[in-house]
Amino acid sequence: MSEYRQIIIDHYKNPRNMGELIGADKTIDEANSSCGDLIKIFVKLTNGKITDMKWQGVGCAISTAGASMLSEKVTGMNKIDLEKFGETGVVEMLGGEINVGRMKCATLAYRGLLKVFD
Amino acid sequence: MIDINKIRADFPILSRKIHGHDLVYFDSGATSQKPKTVIESMNRYYREINANIHRGVYEMSVESTELVDEARKDVAGFIGALGEEIIFTRNTTESINLVAYSWGEENIKAGDAIVITKLEHHSNMIPWQELCRRKGAELRVIDVNEKGELENEKEAEKINNAEFEVVVGGWRNLLDNKVKMVALTGQSNTLGTVPLLGEIVPMIKRKSPQSLILLDGAQMVPHMKVSVVKLGIDFLAFSGHKMLGPTGVGVLWGKKEILNKMKPFLFGGDMIGEVKLGGSTWADIPSKFEAGTPDIAGIVGLGEAIKYLMSVGMDNIHEYENNLLKYALEKMKTLKNEGLILLYGTEDINRGAAIAFNVKGIHAHDTAQILNNFGIAVRSGQHCAAPLVKSYGVEAMVRATFYLYNTKEEIDYFVDKIREVPKVFA
Repeated sequence: MSEYRQIIIDHYKNPRNMGELIGADKTIDEANSSCGDLIKIFVKLTNGKITDMKWQGVGCAISTAGASMLSEKVTGMNKIDLEKFGETGVVEMLGGEINVGRMKCATLAYRGLLKVFD
Repeated sequence: MIDINKIRADFPILSRKIHGHDLVYFDSGATSQKPKTVIESMNRYYREINANIHRGVYEMSVESTELVDEARKDVAGFIGALGEEIIFTRNTTESINLVAYSWGEENIKAGDAIVITKLEHHSNMIPWQELCRRKGAELRVIDVNEKGELENEKEAEKINNAEFEVVVGGWRNLLDNKVKMVALTGQSNTLGTVPLLGEIVPMIKRKSPQSLILLDGAQMVPHMKVSVVKLGIDFLAFSGHKMLGPTGVGVLWGKKEILNKMKPFLFGGDMIGEVKLGGSTWADIPSKFEAGTPDIAGIVGLGEAIKYLMSVGMDNIHEYENNLLKYALEKMKTLKNEGLILLYGTEDINRGAAIAFNVKGIHAHDTAQILNNFGIAVRSGQHCAAPLVKSYGVEAMVRATFYLYNTKEEIDYFVDKIREVPKVFA
């Protein structure tokens, strides 16, 4: 069960930074059209850097853990940092092994977050 | 009767191991596995025959043409149609688009109505949605009740939750003289519901006699005996790959007199009569609708798949699958009563071998992935039927579908492993 490492289960059961961020500078909706996963991302920005992120959504263990763990990583990142982090960074963050069929789940929050800088 | 050991031995892929377990393939609703005879027929075609069809006078081209003609006859015989009424496409989706463009562009105008159902796969929904948008016609949708059946008496209600307004309700209230096309499924790909065509088709003919009827047979034709004449429909669309054939070949059947009046959908080689620089005429059916070189090897494979299905017997297949379904539903009901799973659609309705469910509190993708770790292949998500799945208040479902090569032992194993799913999150 390599996909369901303890850290993923932990973030799935106790998602971090879940909720609405009052006074957010940007709000992004991202969806996974094949499975119906939805996420709403709120961020505060200062000089092009993310200073806070919260999120709401419904999804599977992988997408929930992906959003939860990402919300702890991205503070202080600007557009370039986030692009550098990449989908590879997401996979590493989740423990280094994600089946191709679950990549869309894993990167849901990340794809939404990239849109913050559009 | 079905000799299951003999059948399983015909499908090489069934001996595959997944994560060290025997493969349990419960996703035939998405695509079926292929018997040796189908694989070998295509192999032989490429090794010994390969040449383009039509207008080749040499031996191999003649053989190729004959193989395509023979497959066309096999398909026609399989559904009780005439050979010239069989049009080879890529898949069900392309078959339906052919009708929506060719017939729809000429025959639908503002003020007309098209009826579909909430059970439809997106392939029998979006082409009509788009046709209605292009023409300013009204889209009417037959609703689905909690049990998974199409509504009959439900009042018509206007709903506008996207770009344009649609009318949702029961058969009785959505059929009238404005309706020009009723496009419905022969079996829901998600819930397995088999609409009662014996009642629905006569009702359409009574209340909307001017309307044509298109049946999406993608989930029906592989699983039961179908006669287009007995059904009383005008078009039937289905895919070869869901009925033991290869991917890349689909079929559109249409009544000859309707096909003859329709304009071509795709233009180019092979579909022409006489070509001049300033304009051209069209070939007769079916060539009129088959522009360009078709998937010849795929057509050969489909013909072979039909031979295989007929050798087993469609009634035998249907009965066998029905027994599997009943067996599985009984077991799934136990899981439901234990509070472990949610089942969508009920067992007391007319339905085929598909079961949609969720393990309580666990996302469909997670369930499917955990089952995969035990070698079980099931589908998870919205099953290309997003409005239907959402009407059950969920974003995704797990779906298990059975075919003639599945067994009760596989169902036992599957039910056993569903019990393991919550343990991963315990």
